[in-house]
Amino acid sequence: MSDHDGTSFGLPPAEQLKSDRVWDSYFLPSYKDFEGDMKRSQRAIEIGNIEKLCYFAHVGIGTTTDAAFEKSRQENPDSVSAPLKRWPDKLLGMINLNTNDVSTSLDALNRWIRDGQMLGVYFAGGGPGSLPCTHKNFDPLIERIAELKAVIMQHTWHVTGGKTSPGHSLPSELAEVAARFPKQQFICAHAGGEWEKGIRAVRDSPNILVETSGFDATAGFIEMAVRELGPERIVFGSHLPSRSLGTELGKIVGASLPDESRKLILGGNYRRLLRRE
Amino acid sequence: MKFCHEEIGQATRGMMKRRTLIQSAIATGTVATLSPSAWANETELDIIDTNVSLFRWPFRRLPLDETELLVTKLRSLGITAAFAGSFEGILQRDISSLNNRLASECADFTQLIPIGSINPNLHGWEDDLKQCVGDHDMRGIRLHPNYHGYELDNPRFVKLLNLVADAKLFVQIAAVIEDVRTQPDQLRVADVDLTPLIENHVGRIQILNWRPRGKLVEALAGIPNIHFDVSRVDQTDGVAALLKTIPESRIMFGTHAPFLIPEASLIRVHESDLPASSLSLLMNKNAKNFLTG
Repeated sequence: MSDHDGTSFGLPPAEQLKSDRVWDSYFLPSYKDFEGDMKRSQRAIEIGNIEKLCYFAHVGIGTTTDAAFEKSRQENPDSVSAPLKRWPDKLLGMINLNTNDVSTSLDALNRWIRDGQMLGVYFAGGGPGSLPCTHKNFDPLIERIAELKAVIMQHTWHVTGGKTSPGHSLPSELAEVAARFPKQQFICAHAGGEWEKGIRAVRDSPNILVETSGFDATAGFIEMAVRELGPERIVFGSHLPSRSLGTELGKIVGASLPDESRKLILGGNYRRLLRRE
Repeated sequence: MKFCHEEIGQATRGMMKRRTLIQSAIATGTVATLSPSAWANETELDIIDTNVSLFRWPFRRLPLDETELLVTKLRSLGITAAFAGSFEGILQRDISSLNNRLASECADFTQLIPIGSINPNLHGWEDDLKQCVGDHDMRGIRLHPNYHGYELDNPRFVKLLNLVADAKLFVQIAAVIEDVRTQPDQLRVADVDLTPLIENHVGRIQILNWRPRGKLVEALAGIPNIHFDVSRVDQTDGVAALLKTIPESRIMFGTHAPFLIPEASLIRVHESDLPASSLSLLMNKNAKNFLTG
């Protein structure tokens, strides 16, 4: 079933998506069933013509509440990068850090980024490894990440009514941190969720880009982000499989954008950050 | 003026010509040919969107909040008919006026089927319903219980369901309009608690914008006259999973446009890789059946 402007069920033609070179900066397969979630996401990956997807590995340093899993990771560290070996042409990886354990996290940076294949760091918004990004524990970690020229994805949500967990970070807090590390590139995951406030909070921080997933496909988001930040500061994320290609790719392909801006958002900016152009 | 079941029945019997035209067009898949505004030659696809709204969202301008832009976008996506409520019905209290505007606007875009707003917490709401039926020949009404401040076990809500059923209209209940996490600080409303529908479910009812979860969806799945839309059903396999829980004859396509980007819901359906028979029900036939009762 296709309609009259060349799209199919809201999707642009496959040739256009291939030409756009879609790279997903926010892929969320469960650590408990990575293989299953890869299968579950397969159709979305195919019809979205997603070239690459970046997941966030737990590396056995206390970033989950699953003691058995943490122990397993420590005893079998090769399992951390097993997905990269299983899907070498499809996956990219970053690592979760435990901001409550700076020393171990610094070791993990060396092991998995300096000496491994991981490209950056994910700071979560909840769980045992998370703290607000303004906490002093972040400073030595960010300094080392900057030395390694790696990317930081910081979970953010501006929730109406206030923070929802002790490790919750706001876009405005990320802006504070980014001002202290002007040479480091940060990605503000979910554009702060409540994006009208999130975009404003990071607008004056040129070293912050916003990531597009994690909230309903609310109309006007991309248009405001492009207007306030420029298309160079927006990166696509799918949040698959716990959200849908419809919600997340729909935000980009449904927005009124010049082709070049769409290409930057869907992959060009992320490749630039990862130095993969 | 008092408004009783008999009066609604009389109004229903006095249907305006427009309803007959729309009903006939929906049944035959020729809605586009009725339009005065360039919807000709659009019969290849016949997607019915059960969930759009006209006019201004109160808290920001939306890219498609002009009706002409919205219907042009819908047409480009193959959507040939849409149940259109009004954003004005969420906060405004002059219900008669806003329903007049909705009916007038839809008269210019025949592919839009006007769905009136009713607030049973306002004095004289029965007259508003009578106006929807008698003056505007509407096929259904849309409720916003969380914005209007009542629960679904409220006697006025139950009375409303009965009156609407007697008039052979349907009821759409907007369980959510906006994620509670992104609402304005000073105007926060929780999602509608749908639990009382297990007991109170007279007539044709469609729940809009709900993200089904937990035991409640299983309970509602067992009630044949309660229907659903897919506008906020998320997860990559969310629509397919919903079809395993709820009989497929009771799930209808909806976009929640222009608040949400209409492509999102379409892509999500595509992503679910449904068999053709299920797709036909979801995108078209269920809405036709719901509309015609």
